[in-house]
Amino acid sequence: MRTGLAIGVGALGLLVSGWTSSASAHHAFAAEFDANKPVNFKGTITKMEWTNPHSWLHVMVMQPDGTAVNWAIEAGTPNVLFRRGFTKDTLAPGTEVVIDGYQAKDGSNRANGRDLTLPDGRQLFLGSSAGAPYELPPGQ
Amino acid sequence: MSPLDFFAWLGDSDWSTNLHESRYAYPLIESVHVWTMAVFFGSVAMFDLRLMGMIMRKVPLGEVVRRLLPWTIAAFAVMVVTGTLLFFAIPLRSYQNIFFRSKMLLMVLAGLNVWIFHSRVFPKAIDAEAAAAPPRAARIAGALSLVLWTGIVFSGRMIAYNWFDCDRQPQPDIVNFLTSCVPGE
Repeated sequence: MRTGLAIGVGALGLLVSGWTSSASAHHAFAAEFDANKPVNFKGTITKMEWTNPHSWLHVMVMQPDGTAVNWAIEAGTPNVLFRRGFTKDTLAPGTEVVIDGYQAKDGSNRANGRDLTLPDGRQLFLGSSAGAPYELPPGQ
Repeated sequence: MSPLDFFAWLGDSDWSTNLHESRYAYPLIESVHVWTMAVFFGSVAMFDLRLMGMIMRKVPLGEVVRRLLPWTIAAFAVMVVTGTLLFFAIPLRSYQNIFFRSKMLLMVLAGLNVWIFHSRVFPKAIDAEAAAAPPRAARIAGALSLVLWTGIVFSGRMIAYNWFDCDRQPQPDIVNFLTSCVPGE
């Protein structure tokens, strides 16, 4: 009886500690973003937060009616972006970019970045979170 | 200088910037924090279960403490250092993170539990060693410790999943109060 209880408590403890500490890639895509809400727009970079555990790109997008809307785009860690060819200065404020990504589930102007296209046509991969649609094998 | 100004200033300092922009330091510090958490939580859980009379019942309590406590203390020391560095890398956002705050609150409670246990309960529990089961106070302290540390690990993990960030407005007034968020800033 006591042994059973001990095993039960132990298993619960393991489950909780394992679950809470194993997701060390920080948050997963599905925790915040919606794969069914792709976004694509042209904008001007206002600020680049080159920071762990996720970088954030702030972009001003002009609407057809002439108003400006600010978007926050999530990107990978500084290490990941560096390996894909970014430096901290690649995305200086004022740079015109085209962003592909997926909007936040709550409908706010935040998105998980997928591809970024620079004025010279260079394309860089922003992807940041485990479980994003672009990580699935082709055809899925 | 308000706490918000102070942590904003801290986050803009060269050291904090080097840390949160780092390619290797940040993930390494994060990993050390998690590795030592495994040692810390593991040794705490073993001791708590022993206090509750569930495991190692034939091993004297003093012996369990002598063998486990050095691991617990060493791991905790490393966790304090790495945890402080992780906070230092992202001070303002962490300070305003509701899960960071609940983690700190739970850690104060866990610390009180440790303090009360070692000053009052433990001496009696050692005296009562001859009895079959540990005294009720020892069992309560063990269970409390297990619950609190489980909650602390959970809060710590949730810091990365915070959906009460200050820049996600509107939030209910109570949330902005609890997180010291100033909407519109």
